[in-house]
Amino acid sequence: MSIFILTLVLFSIFTYSFVDINLSYLKGLYTGLYLNNRFLLSAVYSILIFILFGFSYFLLSNIDRLKVNLKRIILLIVLATIFAYPAALTFDIFNYVTSARVTFLYQENPYIIYPIEFLDDPYLAFTRAANKTALYGPFWIFLTGIPYFAGLGNFILTLFSFKAFIALFYIGTVYFMRKLDKTAAFFFALNPLVIIESLVSSHNDIVMIFFALLSFYLFYRRKFVFSILSIVGSIFIKPATLFLFPIYLGMIKDRIIGKKINQEKAFRYSAIFMFVIFLLSPLREELYPWYASWFIVFTAFFHKNKFLQNLVLVFSLGLMLRYVPYMATGGYFGTTPIIRNIFMITPAFIFLLFTWLKKYFPSR
Amino acid sequence: MFAESSYVLPYPSAMPGSIFYKLNLIQEELLRFWYFGDFGQFKYNLAQSDKYLVEAKTLFDYKQHLLAYQALQKSDKYFKKIKPNLLSAKSNGKNTEDKEKLLREAAEKHIEELEKLKIVLPPAFEWKPEEQQSIILNFQEAIKNSIGARKVL
Repeated sequence: MSIFILTLVLFSIFTYSFVDINLSYLKGLYTGLYLNNRFLLSAVYSILIFILFGFSYFLLSNIDRLKVNLKRIILLIVLATIFAYPAALTFDIFNYVTSARVTFLYQENPYIIYPIEFLDDPYLAFTRAANKTALYGPFWIFLTGIPYFAGLGNFILTLFSFKAFIALFYIGTVYFMRKLDKTAAFFFALNPLVIIESLVSSHNDIVMIFFALLSFYLFYRRKFVFSILSIVGSIFIKPATLFLFPIYLGMIKDRIIGKKINQEKAFRYSAIFMFVIFLLSPLREELYPWYASWFIVFTAFFHKNKFLQNLVLVFSLGLMLRYVPYMATGGYFGTTPIIRNIFMITPAFIFLLFTWLKKYFPSR
Repeated sequence: MFAESSYVLPYPSAMPGSIFYKLNLIQEELLRFWYFGDFGQFKYNLAQSDKYLVEAKTLFDYKQHLLAYQALQKSDKYFKKIKPNLLSAKSNGKNTEDKEKLLREAAEKHIEELEKLKIVLPPAFEWKPEEQQSIILNFQEAIKNSIGARKVL
């Protein structure tokens, strides 16, 4: 476990190689490595990712034997990643901060006014999607008021307030998963993709997932009104969880006819539906690695199915490798998209081939 | 011949008499709240002013003089609100340079269209509703006022 945490600490330090040249607030930490030593960074990134996935596999395969304490490991994971630079792999956190700024500082509607319209705003120098209006739901915009005001107008404090705020939802998600199934909580919490995307890059998908899971939890506890409010809250963060509505309708139907709610069936269909919307996401934009957390949270409940868990883990590894081609070349076009897809499917392909060979040609 | 402004006015939307026009009026009221903030109100008022100017132009083309006259009044009403939005934004510490430029271009375009109307419209028009006293619509005066409102920038 200590090597896993140590690797996360190293990964957090590594993220500072990507400090943006235009980010004047972190000028002292700018190295220019991401511009001049792309191959070196890609190699270090790949090594760290392989180590993390390797140890994650080891920990998940030996949870009972190692007697891993969930609370302790969550605390260590959060501490190891909370100070990581959040814009190493994606710049979304800057969009969250900028949308909050448009809403709460300038008091304008972030769905109408572009951040770029505030010509003198110092954050424009490093915000990538300044020419886009708010990309997320109104509940998310509302929630960002908390870390925004906690930042007291200081950029660094605001940035890490956002990180800490999002980390709370990772902890919350694991907490409610633990209440439903302790082992499932491990399978979600120890997935390096979930850790990096929720705690390092601080994507708001974990907030959406938290409210969706809370909604299921409340439904099982027969708190139906709060359950509905929670799923609506989740949808108003990101509409991906709208795909969970058929499952809700099924559960409501079972409740009306007095049938016992089948928790396992609900999670199975949730995993399938969220995987479908994950696969459909390129129709809107592209297949972002952090979207995988939409279904990982539900597949984690099927931890007894070792094949599924291993497949999810190797697929997560492939998704994290999607970052490598851009990191190495600095270009989104040309062969980059093809190589990215090859990197993504290769681990899963090798795993499936290996499983198939093992099944049909068992060792004597 | 008029100087051609690069500012682009919108397509004509639904016209009075259409069910969609009534829906548009409801939408217009709702959007007033959605477009909160100094820049939001700037965009809202400019968009409405543009929309009603195009509506007036279209209605004048179809000789719907009273409705056209009313649309022109509405366009003026919205246009007059734009400058205070920018002053408010400025006092709130927002840089309004690009918006002021946009407003100047919009005003130029509006004036261009109004000057065209001034040539083709009669100086006044007597509107005689059924069983009511007739009303004199002074087009030249109305267009002069509309141009004046846009020249104060």
